[in-house]
Amino acid sequence: MVSHRLPHDIHPGIAPRPTLRRRLDQLMRALLPSLFIALSTVILSAGLSIPGQGELSFGIAAGTVFFWSAHRPLSMTPTMTFCIGLLCEMLSFGPPGVFLFSLLVFHGVAHLWRYGLSRISFLYAWALLGGLALVLSLFGWVIACIGTLTLLSPVPSLFQAALTIGIYPTLSAFFTWARSTVADPEQA
Amino acid sequence: MLSIQGRHALAKLMLPFFIVLAVGLIMLGLTRRPVVDTVRMRVADGLAPAYRLISAPQTAFMRLRQSVTGLADIAGENARLRDENQKLRRWYDVAVALANENAQLKASLHWIPDDAPNFVSGHALRDAGGLYGRSILLAVGEGHDIVPGDVALDASGLLGRVTEIGARTVRILMINDDASRIPVMLSASRGNAIMAGDGSPYPRLIYYAQDNRPVEGERIVTGEQPAPEGRDHGAFAGMPGGLVVGTVHYLRPGSPVVVPEASLDHPDIIRVFSYSNADHAGPDAPGRVRLMSPLPVAPELPFIPFQKPMKGQG
Repeated sequence: MVSHRLPHDIHPGIAPRPTLRRRLDQLMRALLPSLFIALSTVILSAGLSIPGQGELSFGIAAGTVFFWSAHRPLSMTPTMTFCIGLLCEMLSFGPPGVFLFSLLVFHGVAHLWRYGLSRISFLYAWALLGGLALVLSLFGWVIACIGTLTLLSPVPSLFQAALTIGIYPTLSAFFTWARSTVADPEQA
Repeated sequence: MLSIQGRHALAKLMLPFFIVLAVGLIMLGLTRRPVVDTVRMRVADGLAPAYRLISAPQTAFMRLRQSVTGLADIAGENARLRDENQKLRRWYDVAVALANENAQLKASLHWIPDDAPNFVSGHALRDAGGLYGRSILLAVGEGHDIVPGDVALDASGLLGRVTEIGARTVRILMINDDASRIPVMLSASRGNAIMAGDGSPYPRLIYYAQDNRPVEGERIVTGEQPAPEGRDHGAFAGMPGGLVVGTVHYLRPGSPVVVPEASLDHPDIIRVFSYSNADHAGPDAPGRVRLMSPLPVAPELPFIPFQKPMKGQG
């Protein structure tokens, strides 16, 4: 006799009633990554006198979009990425469109390679994020140079890329925990 | 309702569509930057109370830290203040004597004083320059009459000029921004130059006379710059002369820079002066030379109407 043993928390055929409260809970959990970016962007756009606030804002937004697009695309859809990118654009005073474009590219690459990213080790995913951060930061520098018709220093762009790379392991550890707890719509 | 295949196709098209929109925004930013900046200013203007709320705990903590530091070194602070007070008393006597002398000289010259400029003080809310720009957002409250071009100063010297206006906030382009060009005067030689920002803490001095080079340590003040269309300039203010900017320093031979007096790194309380109503063009006083009607440059020739050629005259 073969017995099918199921985990204790799985009861096939039995699901909680989709009440309004549960639906709202699910929605909030699904929107948590986007809300996290929005809140961090608003806080980091205030005058807190923290060195590299603008660069940190980009790093947090890029890391969050990359992680959730690869690990749970339903929590970071193209529409959500666009809305978040537009908010970041409105709160920053950098070259217009570059922040939004960068977030969409982060989303596109992570979403396209999500199956590959789930198989490879964290270090390769980190290297991919680093390469993207470097290329997109330098793209922002090129657009700023064209906008001002002068050769600006690329140091702020390189610092932004370095900060994006440096902050990703911490963000990734935090999101790995959040994915199975507070940001999991299944647990609503 | 779309079919499942239709929804899948639409979902796949969303990302390219958004990327095209983003590229469009980049193009708009390159060709019509003021449009984007106006929208950003409105958003920042609306968020000004939130920014103040966010930075309130930090401001309170900094005040507390300052108080604790002051309490820890209260004896040293007292001694320093006593010394400073003595120096200030001496300077006060000098200032009173100079003010009296100045008043006598002006009275004997029948000096017509300039209009006193209005000013608004405010706290720096946030950085508004992005990665490559150097500008700040200043909370000035509602009902201000600031116009673009007005000058912003901190306690020590010139900080920048107003570029965008919101209902409660103004954006100030700082003197070290890459787009900043300020007419300045070398105080010792009275020579003119342009102070150009380049993103570094020390703006460069350019376009000075080659036979009148800036000297190391020479003080730099703003040069007089009338509003673009004279007195009735409308919406852009001119630059008043004589405001303190900084001192000359040579980082390398042949390339003088200005060491600004103002704190460009951490601006806090800033005053924006409105010189819109100030009279820089001088009074319309009658001159000593009697005005005459302009002389004609050439004697007038008699007017000969065109006549048709007669037959046989070619």
